[in-house]
Amino acid sequence: MIQRIRTTPPRYWLVLVVVLFFIGLPTVIDSFQSGEWAQALVLAIAIMGLNILVGYSGQISLGHGAFMAIGAYTSAILAHRYKMDYLATIPIAGLLTGILGFLFGVPALRLSALYLALATFALAVVTPSLIKRPAELTGGVQGIVLLPPVPPTFASDTFSALTGTALTSDQWTYYVTLAWTLVLFWLAWNLVRHRAGRAMRAIRDGEVAAAASGVNIAGYKTLAFGISALYAGIAGSLFGLAVGFVSPDTFPVALSIQLLVGAVVGGLASIPGPIIGAIFAYFLPIESNQWVPTQTWIPGSIASTIEKAGPAVTYGAVLILTMIFAPNGVVGLVLTGYSRLRGRLRGVPDRESGQMPPDPHTV
Amino acid sequence: MQEFLQLVVSGIATGGIFASLALALVLIYNAMGLVNFAQGEMAMFATFVAFTLIAHGMNYWLAFVITLVVAFAGGIAIERVVIRPIERAPILTLVIVTLGLATLINGLAGSIFGYVPRAFPSPFSVQTVNILGALASFQDLGVIAVSAVVLLAIYLLLQHTTVGLTMRAAAHHAEASRLLGVRVSWMLALGWGLASAVGSVSGIMVAPIILLEPNMMQTIIIYAFAAAVLGGIESPLGAVVGGVIVGVTVNLAGVYLPFVGGDLQLAVALAIIVAVLVLKPNGLFGRPTVRRV
Amino acid sequence: MALLELEDVRAGYGATSVLHGVSLSVPEGQIVSLLGANGAGKTTTLRSITGGVHWTGDIRFGGRSLRRMHTEDVVRLGIAHVPEGRGILTELTVDENLKLGSHLRRDGAAVRKDYDRVFEYFPVLRERRRLSASTLSGGEQQMLALARAFLMKPRLMLLDEPSLGLAPLIVRAIFEIIRTINGADKVAILLVEQNARLALDVSSEAYVLEVGRVAVKGSSSELQGNEAVRRSYLGY
Repeated sequence: MIQRIRTTPPRYWLVLVVVLFFIGLPTVIDSFQSGEWAQALVLAIAIMGLNILVGYSGQISLGHGAFMAIGAYTSAILAHRYKMDYLATIPIAGLLTGILGFLFGVPALRLSALYLALATFALAVVTPSLIKRPAELTGGVQGIVLLPPVPPTFASDTFSALTGTALTSDQWTYYVTLAWTLVLFWLAWNLVRHRAGRAMRAIRDGEVAAAASGVNIAGYKTLAFGISALYAGIAGSLFGLAVGFVSPDTFPVALSIQLLVGAVVGGLASIPGPIIGAIFAYFLPIESNQWVPTQTWIPGSIASTIEKAGPAVTYGAVLILTMIFAPNGVVGLVLTGYSRLRGRLRGVPDRESGQMPPDPHTV
Repeated sequence: MQEFLQLVVSGIATGGIFASLALALVLIYNAMGLVNFAQGEMAMFATFVAFTLIAHGMNYWLAFVITLVVAFAGGIAIERVVIRPIERAPILTLVIVTLGLATLINGLAGSIFGYVPRAFPSPFSVQTVNILGALASFQDLGVIAVSAVVLLAIYLLLQHTTVGLTMRAAAHHAEASRLLGVRVSWMLALGWGLASAVGSVSGIMVAPIILLEPNMMQTIIIYAFAAAVLGGIESPLGAVVGGVIVGVTVNLAGVYLPFVGGDLQLAVALAIIVAVLVLKPNGLFGRPTVRRV
Repeated sequence: MALLELEDVRAGYGATSVLHGVSLSVPEGQIVSLLGANGAGKTTTLRSITGGVHWTGDIRFGGRSLRRMHTEDVVRLGIAHVPEGRGILTELTVDENLKLGSHLRRDGAAVRKDYDRVFEYFPVLRERRRLSASTLSGGEQQMLALARAFLMKPRLMLLDEPSLGLAPLIVRAIFEIIRTINGADKVAILLVEQNARLALDVSSEAYVLEVGRVAVKGSSSELQGNEAVRRSYLGY
């Protein structure tokens, strides 16, 4: 299923358009929505991390919500108890989570794909209880409340100069998150293009063959775990920033599943996939609650069921349908459609696969 | 000593509940090498069906049997509709689909039945009886008895009937079975149906204890995972033994290990899973698999 | 109309084509040999018949086309296929393997009689009934496979290299039983064999495959008598 997605060389202009879109976004939406988009970007980072693990190195994790929790709580504790500047805590949280992920990756080597899924799933379910326990440190059930960040003067001055409005806390959070997103995505893109990425893909596609070719399986697999945990840790830390508090209930097993949904629907083993997946994963629950009831063409009983059930029914159905009909996610659909369109325009007959596409030079 | 025995007995009872769900997992694993992450949610939904029947005045045991039949049919339906299109897909795809199924069923249950926890009737009284100086409740003994009957029935079905034989053949030797006229694809569906029915027993037995609501099986499935992993994921006997061990261990840990308390019992299950996977990945009764290169 | 007819069958695996137009027929109650070197396509031919490989052309059993039928349905029409490697279900006992041979039959009394005959032909199977099939030696597994196929009470048996890897004494015994099954119960047999001499001794007709096509065909006595054919195709 995780076929190497038939990709074309990166359309740099497209990337530029997308980046500009995100930079300009807060100027056209209200402050609250900027906060929402910040949370979506947080998911994108975590999903990118998961994608590195699942899509590129072929290891399943159903517990990345736990890594997000570690990152979030690290930042929260450092900021709240030790009065550290929150922004400074972000890389620390990421690093700590990354190291823990790396250490987790060591015993994970011995587990088959299924057992790894099982173990990480169990971890995700147990995480809220584990957080509640050391109550003095973690704030127990109530969690830790964080003060909304105050935008530094250089930022608010620049923003006011460009847009004529003051920079709100939510918007500042958005930009911080966006900065991290851009950096981390760029790093990921480089990772997969170069040796580490190739090694991981080789492992994913055939571990025995990769080992026979001299790839350090253990090294790269644990590295993948560490990196993906680092991403999740940073995402968790930014999540705390965006939402303003952390508590055990903000990291239920549903979060880990949400991340997996986003990774799969967006398209595993692709760079743009996590962004698409994050937008889907974040906005679907909100939209299904608000948008569906307004659509008169949906029969009343179905609409009210969807409304009452919340996102779960839609999530589940979308996940199942995606895996059956479009296992490469949105990115896969787009690329297959694009190459078919190109073929048709050029008059080349459709080439049914049976053959793996050549390894792209870039992702 | 008394308390210890009581804990052991009630541990065996919860163990029976875990064993039923674990057996469901083992059945599907044997049939297609997949751990069905939706097993708990399927059991929960079946329990809601039982609840609805009983709430409309039906006799408990009649509702029990009908629910098992409905669960059986539901399992077959799910296999035919959702699993069949992707029967030969890689394991990650199947895992994700079962997760999607779990999410879907959970949401469906929430929207149809609501999230308010409900009391679920038990056919056994909470009176206690004196065994070897310890007090054991009829509730616990009843659960043990029901679990034992169900597990025995599955054993007899699989080992001593032609249908069970063809199911086992299809599970272990699909191609060779086809050459003997076995409809392998339908055996898979049957496996799902059976697993669903067995799993629903677990839901019906646990509901009186923890209150019926859509999320009730989310912790139970973890215990069932621990039981299945401990017993050996391919071994039905292992599921039973593993279930009992997990049930008793968790009970004892909750009382005798002060830092565990009530809320970290689940962590004990996680610890068991981790310990088994690290020390003896094939579990108590599993066989080491040969990796074909 | 022959019991089994293959008409211009082409088959292969993915991009590789193995059969390039094979036509043969197996008359009712006869033993037909399918000979040829390794890689000639003998096994692929058998697999095509029971739907284990994608094929084009036509294959008819009792006049009925087998196109697009699933393996298990083809088998249920009355074809028993003992594949390369024998297809023993090693997770199950000897008895359970045999049971899978007879599980589709409804004629209880006749089944019991057939079991008696099976144990008469292969006493070792009765001794090892309760044991796991994996404990059987190669020769015993071949006997089990044959016994199981016999219990299916098929109209046609497809045997893929029954002599492979077996000691000559055992091979002789097995071929005796093959002859008996064919004689007493009129079961038609399509016999794939590398040991051409054995095969020709027991069969009435033979086809020789070469690189996916029928190179030579005729009655077994003809082929046995033709020294040129024997030398170039059959290796003796």
